[in-house]
Amino acid sequence: MSSMSDIGFLLLIFIMLISLINQRHEVKIEYSEAKKLEQTQETENLEIWVEKNGRMSVNGSFVNERELEGIIAETLSLKPGTRVHLIADRATPYKFVNGAVSILQRLQHRVVSFVVEEEK
Amino acid sequence: MIRFLKKRLPDDPANSGALNDLSFILIIFFIVIAGFNINKGFLLNLPDREKPRVVKTEELIVATLDENGALLLDGNPVSAEDLRRETEALQKEFPNCTFLLQIHPDAEYQSVISVIHDIRTLKVENFSFRMTGGAE
Repeated sequence: MSSMSDIGFLLLIFIMLISLINQRHEVKIEYSEAKKLEQTQETENLEIWVEKNGRMSVNGSFVNERELEGIIAETLSLKPGTRVHLIADRATPYKFVNGAVSILQRLQHRVVSFVVEEEK
Repeated sequence: MIRFLKKRLPDDPANSGALNDLSFILIIFFIVIAGFNINKGFLLNLPDREKPRVVKTEELIVATLDENGALLLDGNPVSAEDLRRETEALQKEFPNCTFLLQIHPDAEYQSVISVIHDIRTLKVENFSFRMTGGAE
């Protein structure tokens, strides 16, 4: 019986650590909504957050377009299978989203995921 | 002498029943939490700037999103429903038709997503989008 509780606690610690590793740097935005969505998550993911004032952030740090290009290029060269996710506020003017889209086109990485929430 | 077999009480070295329950509940909680960060949305192929595709005009539908999120087809305002109908009609005639969405720089992201959602629902294979005016 004590070994079961040991196993239980080891599993608990393991899962807690895994959830810490998978921690996401979220930016407070209002997600766009759509009815039918598809799962776009991959094993390796790069999230680009775009706020409605045009501010972009990656992994919790604010970046400008040049820095963003460097981060994307570096990430893709190290992990070519990385899925790039664009997460923008619903009220973001498209010109700010287009900034990130243009960078991806320049880098010839044309597969991108536009992340939205399911419509309530 | 009659030996009475004493009933041996089972060994319970630690009263860990409650702790076991707690640990398994926490395990389930963290397993469930781990599934919350899955991104969902639309997977898109961005247009290739260096190799533009040539499309026949009769197989092309061009819609414009203005700064207010209003849809225009050949310069005329249309509703989302009208646009869906036009696209479906073109798809029936040309199954490989192309839908091009031209987006005003100040159009809200949500309005772009709504159009993308409608196009996805209609299963249009060739979908392209670009921003009009300004730096691309």
